[in-house]
Amino acid sequence: MKRTMTLNLTEAEMNAVEQMCDQKGLSKTALVRQSLRLYKSVDDRLSRGDKVFVESADKSEKAEIMVL
Amino acid sequence: MKELVDKVFLLNRITGEFETAELFHGIDETNLSHIEGRWRPLFEVRRAQARASGETMSDINAEDGHWNWGRKALAAISDPFLYDIFALECGGNTQALLMTCKGSTDCFSRHPEHPKADMVYVEFLATAPWNRPRLVKEPTYKGAGRVLIGTAVSLSIEEELGGRIGLHALPGAEEFYRDVIGMADLGVDNDGPHTGLRYFELPQSQVSDFLTTQH
Repeated sequence: MKRTMTLNLTEAEMNAVEQMCDQKGLSKTALVRQSLRLYKSVDDRLSRGDKVFVESADKSEKAEIMVL
Repeated sequence: MKELVDKVFLLNRITGEFETAELFHGIDETNLSHIEGRWRPLFEVRRAQARASGETMSDINAEDGHWNWGRKALAAISDPFLYDIFALECGGNTQALLMTCKGSTDCFSRHPEHPKADMVYVEFLATAPWNRPRLVKEPTYKGAGRVLIGTAVSLSIEEELGGRIGLHALPGAEEFYRDVIGMADLGVDNDGPHTGLRYFELPQSQVSDFLTTQH
């Protein structure tokens, strides 16, 4: 069963959502779902004490991802 | 633990009749007991015969005979945000199983039509050994694998991902995905977790053809 919610976003936030939807070819619902999956999978790893890193394309830089 | 989502038809090749099959979201102990008690013994007999006759597991389409579906079910149940598992039952038996993923590095399209677009990735798909033409002389049901590929496509549509799906095929199943299902062959992975396996996708432009084609 699916449930509906209303979001209150600033103009900038809504612009970011719409821009991402355009770039990714996703509806707002699909974008929120995918974002939630990414957020949860990263948060689950961090909760277990793991660290999540992003590496630059040339592998010269590596930064740890922080989740608010 | 499992919920009926649809009823479909499978062709019984032996009787020539269509039979009603039930598609479930989730699997239970009955399915796992079918795999351990019915699938596995048949796989083991045929694998032993193949080894004796010099055939490969790919020749007899039995490369997945060792898959541990109990462990896969546990993974799916423990992370329902990412994984879905489906069982197809007909004639009092488990005829095929499917596990999909909705969020991982495998869930981004490689197809030139929509590079990096989100999609559903087929982690595992297996039909019962008695339904496989190269594994047994007289296979029982036709269409079980196709029904589950259709299930993955439907899930992708339900998730608003356009019906796009991708998967890596074991060598013995490449022909099925390329020639029977009509997926795009995007070559063999040269690195990463699926090294050596051929990658296939059903792009969004082919989804409606796939769903409307009669088999």
